[in-house]
Amino acid sequence: MVPISYYLILSAVLFTIGVIGVLVRRNAIIIFMCIELMLNAVNLSFVAISKHLDSLDGQIFVIFVMTVAAAEVAVGLAIIINLFRNKETINIDEVNIMKW
Amino acid sequence: MTAFFFFPIAIVVLISASLVIFFRNPVHSALSLLLTFFSLAGLYILLNAQFVAAIQVIVYAGAIMVLFLFVIMLLNLDKVKKERERHPLQKAFGILIASLLLVVLGSVIASGILYGTKGIYTVEKVAAIGNTKAIAGLLFTDWILPFEITSILLLAAIVGAIVLSKKEL
Amino acid sequence: MPIDYIPILAFLIFALMFAVGTIAMSSIVGTKKTTPEKMMPYECGVDPIGSARRRFPVKFFIIAVLFIIFDIEAVFLYPWAVIFKDLKVFGFIEMGIFILILFVGLIYAWKKGALEWE
Repeated sequence: MVPISYYLILSAVLFTIGVIGVLVRRNAIIIFMCIELMLNAVNLSFVAISKHLDSLDGQIFVIFVMTVAAAEVAVGLAIIINLFRNKETINIDEVNIMKW
Repeated sequence: MTAFFFFPIAIVVLISASLVIFFRNPVHSALSLLLTFFSLAGLYILLNAQFVAAIQVIVYAGAIMVLFLFVIMLLNLDKVKKERERHPLQKAFGILIASLLLVVLGSVIASGILYGTKGIYTVEKVAAIGNTKAIAGLLFTDWILPFEITSILLLAAIVGAIVLSKKEL
Repeated sequence: MPIDYIPILAFLIFALMFAVGTIAMSSIVGTKKTTPEKMMPYECGVDPIGSARRRFPVKFFIIAVLFIIFDIEAVFLYPWAVIFKDLKVFGFIEMGIFILILFVGLIYAWKKGALEWE
């Protein structure tokens, strides 16, 4: 048996990798992928704790998290496409004004 | 037995997740993220969450990554120019802050304050009912309100995506 | 039980080995004498014009978004189908409301012309 803390540590490291990606990279699409990575790290925690506590609520929550992730990706990537159309760039350092 | 599979899969998860932020080319990052999702599905199976593992492959690896790759090709980002730094210390500070976050998370895990009331769905009971059936039994009774609200969220996502990208439609 | 999934793991490892092995073998064993004709997508036929990496029309994106949304719907339909007999009319009504709300989205996409492909 693998102790639950191993899963939680793996999840914490995965979340940190996502945070590093969001803070360091400047490409909007890669930042978006790193957000997905963070959501997945949280999902891993949910499933591990769900097994630890003999409850299925964590797994059901994962289903909802995936639904939210899908909706977020649909709208977020549409925003990135619009951004690219208007400014011909997806480097977020060059997109620092809300309107012009 | 689980430990025999846990460590290789965990190593694959960590390496492929790190490659997501190291690759220059967004297509390579996307493929690396795909490998991360598949390995996480393997971890879910080790945790006796078969249904979650299946939808991890169907939704994340199958649908969300397809959309990411579509957008990368849509914008033709293959030959994107090198990301130039606006602030020289940005990278160092980003890594510093993220490692502080890791310290906080690690200390929470190490302090062992994870507790909660045990539920009734032990591994044996879920195996007897069937993982999908057990989840369905809860999802469509106790979790009915979040389930119905989900449909409104998806409706909003359809409308939002179409409104935002309909210019050329 | 996780033990039931070992065949899938074996299958994945075998598929990976086959793919990597084939590419590795062909690059080790095969000769590499490239001529401009050989590097073209088609050795005989129409000459390609411009780069293969062109921008996709945005219509593909709309279709992919609709695919994701209805993929999620299928994810919810699957456990519902498993437990449908136990839920009886109650389950039918709750899934009816769910699908009805998503159907509004489909009609919206239809009216906006997102499904047109001229």
